[in-house]
Amino acid sequence: MISFFNPLLLFGILGISIPIIIHLINKKKAFSYKFAAIDFIFQTNKRISVKFKLRQLILLILRASLIAFLAIAFARPFLKTFSSGISGENVPTSNVIILDDSYSMQYTNNRDSFFKSAKAAAKEIINNLTKNDEAVVISCSSSRLQALPGLDYDKNNLLNSLDKLLPTYLSVPITSTLDKSIEILNTSKAPIKRVYLLTDMTKNGWNTDWFKTGNERLRNCVSSVHIIDLSEDKILKNIAITNVGSSIVTSGTNVECRVNVTVSNFSSTKAKELMVQVFIDQKKIAQGFFNIESNASETKEFCFNVEKGINHAGWIEILKDNLGVDNKRYFAINTSQKLDVLLIDGDPKTNIYESETFYIEKALNPGLEHASSIKPTIISVHEFNNFELASFDIIFLCNVETLPFEKIHELEKFVKGGGSVVFSVGNKVDANYYNNSFGTLLPNRLYTIKTFSSGSLISEEQPLHLKLVERMHPILNILSETDVSTLSSAKFYRIFYVDPTPLGDCKTLLSFSDDTPAVIIRQIEGGKSVLFTSSIDRDWTDMPVKSFFLPLMQQLCKHLAGNVSEEILNEAMVDNTWQISCPNNINNVEITNPEGVKTVLQPQLNYNEKSLSYVETHIPGIYTITVDGKPLPQFPEYFAVNLNTIESNLSKIDKKEIAALMGGINLTITSDINESGEVLLGEAKKTMWGTILLLTFCILIVEAFISRK
Amino acid sequence: MTENPFDPIILSKISNMELRARLIVDGALSGIHKSPFRGSSIEFLEHKEYSPGDEIKHIDWKVYARTDKYYIKQFEEETNLKCYIFLDNSGSMGYKSTGMSKFEYASTLMASLAFLLLKQSDMVGFISFNDKVIKYIPPRSRITHLNVLLNALAELKPSGKSDVSNILNEFIEKIGRRSLIVVVSDFLDDTDKIIKQLKYFHFKRSEIILFHILDHYELTFPFEAITYFESMEDERRIIAEPKSIRSHYLNELNRYLEQFKQSCLENQIDYWLIDSSTPLDQALIKFLMRREGSQHSITKFFK
Repeated sequence: MISFFNPLLLFGILGISIPIIIHLINKKKAFSYKFAAIDFIFQTNKRISVKFKLRQLILLILRASLIAFLAIAFARPFLKTFSSGISGENVPTSNVIILDDSYSMQYTNNRDSFFKSAKAAAKEIINNLTKNDEAVVISCSSSRLQALPGLDYDKNNLLNSLDKLLPTYLSVPITSTLDKSIEILNTSKAPIKRVYLLTDMTKNGWNTDWFKTGNERLRNCVSSVHIIDLSEDKILKNIAITNVGSSIVTSGTNVECRVNVTVSNFSSTKAKELMVQVFIDQKKIAQGFFNIESNASETKEFCFNVEKGINHAGWIEILKDNLGVDNKRYFAINTSQKLDVLLIDGDPKTNIYESETFYIEKALNPGLEHASSIKPTIISVHEFNNFELASFDIIFLCNVETLPFEKIHELEKFVKGGGSVVFSVGNKVDANYYNNSFGTLLPNRLYTIKTFSSGSLISEEQPLHLKLVERMHPILNILSETDVSTLSSAKFYRIFYVDPTPLGDCKTLLSFSDDTPAVIIRQIEGGKSVLFTSSIDRDWTDMPVKSFFLPLMQQLCKHLAGNVSEEILNEAMVDNTWQISCPNNINNVEITNPEGVKTVLQPQLNYNEKSLSYVETHIPGIYTITVDGKPLPQFPEYFAVNLNTIESNLSKIDKKEIAALMGGINLTITSDINESGEVLLGEAKKTMWGTILLLTFCILIVEAFISRK
Repeated sequence: MTENPFDPIILSKISNMELRARLIVDGALSGIHKSPFRGSSIEFLEHKEYSPGDEIKHIDWKVYARTDKYYIKQFEEETNLKCYIFLDNSGSMGYKSTGMSKFEYASTLMASLAFLLLKQSDMVGFISFNDKVIKYIPPRSRITHLNVLLNALAELKPSGKSDVSNILNEFIEKIGRRSLIVVVSDFLDDTDKIIKQLKYFHFKRSEIILFHILDHYELTFPFEAITYFESMEDERRIIAEPKSIRSHYLNELNRYLEQFKQSCLENQIDYWLIDSSTPLDQALIKFLMRREGSQHSITKFFK
């Protein structure tokens, strides 16, 4: 059955009256001429008048048909046929219209974005559905939803759901959407089931492994698959900022910030003198130029100073190209995140290498300057009397023999108020004194000192090693596998046995090879206490010279201060959960996304720790964290959410490859957006206007030939 | 560039037929460098003032007595030829594309011939006709007879259907032996009948000259646009696309002309096809020169 996309243009057929009228007028307008030798005309005309009249008639028909065919061609006719062998306009069909909403669909090619073109094409499909056709519009990102949208006969509902679709900032899989389509179409009893996929044909969404099993399911379910290539089969160029890494070095009142920027050129031509700009707090502070070979990346470091004690947010930006979303990448710098740690050395020595706090200080801040975010302060027991505990976050008691009673009381108040204390033992520690004086703070009561082989032949017992107890605890889960493997390499020659009964809410994180607790943590109201049952210098162990010592100690301090890690703190990927441990005294946190939408979060308790989980990271940009409308001290004010730039690589999947993957499936792939209207109608509607135009052209040639003859 | 005064377009601007005839004849004769005058006179024609060298015996003394001046008597030249000029006056002769119509052209040609013949003291008769005789002027040899002929011509306008054979049939008995029969027509008629009638004149040892006058457009059919062609002799009309019928038309015409010419040749009829766009002097010169070189007996009438 023939139908038309622009039936109104069929009125142009009335134009056939033009040559008829001209013919009649010409006949009427033929002037009279008195001619003497008219007998010869009569004689001649007798023979050729029939031929003449026939020729005039043929010319008239040709000219009229020329206009009629032109009008028909512009009305864009198509032939409705049905691949399933059933013919007729009333055959019901089920249609799943899939829109690729990955961020590469935001590519603009001199006109609208691919996504906008996809929506227009989808609208055309919906408008061409008959009352017997049911359909559903889904996006690739919606394939992650559990609930399936239902097929609908109502075009208005379909158009409304289409209008609601927005491009995402994700790299979403097309193949899993095909799974969803199969599920949806399996609920339909229509004899014809079709899938329309509107995509830019970039390779990222196509999981070729899916087709090993998915092809058969798709083939058994759908009558045909129609893919509309919104990129019009063109090669897509793109340059993207694929990574930004930041580090800070504190010096005096300023903080030197180092930002490593990686820019990738996903084009077939070299990017020359590409300007990269760095913005901090809405101000441009640096710029550089990149020369990047095709399909290569280049990394450069930008160094600049920022004010200390303030949280900063910024972004890196390159000049706009066709795909703008990956031209910006955000980062947050938290210079106020400085942990003040007080190290009380109970066994100071003239030779600093032999001091109790030498190794722990180096572990907490290995640089000459305060390169780490942890600032250790070393004092002796005598000096401790003059220090205000409130100005510190953590207090280490390293082989401290005794403390004044007032200070012990002050220490208890400090811990209950949210501070943390770490006990490390040594030869000056008396178990009875500790149990009596620090009983409210210790995780377990100290029992007795146990000595293992110290190299002498007297003892037969071998030194102990460390082993993990709580691998997933925030203090330990940041340790690399290499660090974990070196735990057992540390030798412990002397340790304190502890009473197995904990004194409060305790957890053993590390133990020795004989299962004696090595590191125990106790939650005490708002604060924490940690007991390390061996020395923190090299008197009883060689642990301080092992590679895991530094990250373990740093992470211990960060955890005790309420921060899990800077990496998680500063950046998250779009649609990934952003998590952070938070101080126990926080109950409500407000997060404002880049569009100004505020979300109130309540911390959740996990491992006796309060942490925040934020899942609304749908937009790349800087997210602001406030408590009661203000930034919270010792807590990040910003975090950045960025794209997963895997989608920035716009390499196309070959049509032949798709055809091979979809072998056995009735597949059409079109790259001409202008023809999408026809092609979108799939196998049911075959376009005819090209043929008619060709026919019109042939008629034109015949007409010219006859009229010249 | 000097315009040819004998071009039909130029001649058509000269309304005086006598002037046209004189102009053409003088031009034609000067072209062939032959004197048209010959023979002796037997009948008084007019007086001429005496000039030395004239014969004294021709002095008219009676006039001398009245006027005291010498006048010579001039006599009409002897004639031994009667020429009958048949001029087709049918409607088709009124056709003209440019310049002169066929009738005007034929009239001028006829006048020129008459003038030429009268100058030779031959007798010239005139019959104009369509399907019947419209005007008949018996042959006379006086030079003043030309005015009679020209006056008759001036009154004529082409009209009616043509029937040459019928007219010729009417005059078979009226015209004596050894006459010169000149027929000027477009012969858009039944040529077989015409030839048949002309044969009778031939039997009577008369010389026959046919001037077949056709317009240039009739000979070339140069029309382009679709046209209603209307007959000039009746009510017939036909629509035709000239482009498509041109070649067929010309084939028909040439076949007709060739047949007619062939028939004339077979019956010793002098046939002259003249395109009415041809300058009349050229047509006349060509005719006279052909006649001059020909062994045909009529030649003498023009020497």
